[in-house]
Amino acid sequence: MYEEFSAPDPLCIRLSGRGGQGIILGGVIIAQAAMYDGLFVVHTQSYGPEARLGSSKSEVVVSRFEIAFPEVIHADVFLCLSSEAYLKYHKAISPRAVSVIDDLIVAEDGFPSEIFLPLRRTARNLDNEMTANIVGIGALTGLAHIAQPVSVEKAIREWVKPEFRDVNLRALEAGLNLVPHSAMTSG
Amino acid sequence: MRLVQGNEAAVMGALAGGCNFYAGYPITPATEIMEQMSRILPSRGAVFIQMEDELAALGAVIGAAWGGMRAMTATSGPGFSLMQEHIGYAAMTQTPCVVIDSQRVGPSTGQPTMPAQGDVMQARWGSHGDRAAIVLTASSVKDVFDVTRLAFEWAQDYRLPVIVLLDAVLSHMRENVELPPVPDPIARKPVAVREDQPAFGSHPFIPFSGSTRTIVSGLSHDERGMTRGAIGQDAEQIIRNQLAEVDRDYKRIVQFRRYRLDDATWAIVAYGITARAARAAVNSLRESGLRVGLLELVTLWPFPEQTIHELAASVQGILMPELNLGQMIWPLKASVAGLAPVSSMGRADGELFRPEEIVQTINRLDHRNAAISSVIGGGKHHA
Repeated sequence: MYEEFSAPDPLCIRLSGRGGQGIILGGVIIAQAAMYDGLFVVHTQSYGPEARLGSSKSEVVVSRFEIAFPEVIHADVFLCLSSEAYLKYHKAISPRAVSVIDDLIVAEDGFPSEIFLPLRRTARNLDNEMTANIVGIGALTGLAHIAQPVSVEKAIREWVKPEFRDVNLRALEAGLNLVPHSAMTSG
Repeated sequence: MRLVQGNEAAVMGALAGGCNFYAGYPITPATEIMEQMSRILPSRGAVFIQMEDELAALGAVIGAAWGGMRAMTATSGPGFSLMQEHIGYAAMTQTPCVVIDSQRVGPSTGQPTMPAQGDVMQARWGSHGDRAAIVLTASSVKDVFDVTRLAFEWAQDYRLPVIVLLDAVLSHMRENVELPPVPDPIARKPVAVREDQPAFGSHPFIPFSGSTRTIVSGLSHDERGMTRGAIGQDAEQIIRNQLAEVDRDYKRIVQFRRYRLDDATWAIVAYGITARAARAAVNSLRESGLRVGLLELVTLWPFPEQTIHELAASVQGILMPELNLGQMIWPLKASVAGLAPVSSMGRADGELFRPEEIVQTINRLDHRNAAISSVIGGGKHHA
């Protein structure tokens, strides 16, 4: 199920879910982590006029070179935390994409390559469902080389409010642990 | 190196340009500019005011400028529409100020969170009457910093409201950039005022304070600010002076970037966020062997007529993609003046053009040209 993923350049990452699930913050954390890894990054966000609910999308392009087009067309790495976002975005991926989908989403037309993981359920076990975004980022860090784990940790420390720092660091670790160690990337 | 959002870069650029007064009314996608100004300006001994609406916001900015402040506001389409009256007033009263408009889909409330480039004509012609205008745009977070800083400099130099056009994607986009540290507030020395120095016309801007009495009017006025009934040439003279000053510094003000244009047989002319897709399209078309280049406009107004005219003479066609249903295509066509065929791509659905769409359009145009030149023989078509 977990094939070794070799990251293309540019690496196009799309996070999606509902407003309020920390989709935009998740993108910022990935962008910051990739920046710590010494790469060029562009982060864009797209959301409806509602402050909560409504669908939300956040994209990061990572490259060793300057980035021309800032948005993602076919994602190489896809994270999805809500059914609505799943229907909207799960097909706009590149052929060898790593797609991590929350397993509470009912996917009737899913691709065989999609990896369903208990992101929200793991976050609930940490007593904070809001950390499902970071659980997902942990899983992506393990599966898809999006950034060095230590850089993701540093980015979380930089961007998450102090009172939520610990629970988010635990969410990162829990996310990394959702992925079999054979699939873990080096470094 | 920091991860910086477009709107944050606008704030830093404004501070680097000496901004010490902000009045505004929040609106998506420009709100972060106001939010950050509300935190930063008071701590620098500068002034931040949230006004009751956008009319009042630009009114306060104009008043602050008269008092010698480097003043700005930021808004989006609906607020920019409301500001048009005061943009004309700032022009007639020769008041330096900066207005940022982060464009979203319009008209009216439109799509608050989605990008557009639909205010490019409004930024030039939105208020009634003629006036000189400087309108800048940006395609990267670093650009946003640079043009906002420049806007403050040029507002002072030319005594004009200078407009910076961003869009919803750029305002919210984050890139890793190296920005210079924000300079400490500068205690500016007051401009020396002679008793007989006229307040208007081609003179440096003098803050309205101290012992000088200055009459300000949106009515036509002479150089002392005196309104004279039914004498239209006063107004025309003020506008002509401003136009002449901007015209004289055309080379300084009209900024653009040439990207892989030197041997190009096709040119894309684009501005703002659309230039990013165009650059990616140029790279991909070059890989397929087609010699395509990009002219990215940084200054939209004054329009780079000469540059476009010269470009048109060297290519077999020009394509302009823009996030509206065809606006800057008109000054482009006028500048090309028939020297090359011009094609327009427009959209106003809140999505960016994808590089692939621009690639396909250029390929289609190129095939059509190839077909035509094989019929008539020769032509400018590349081998």
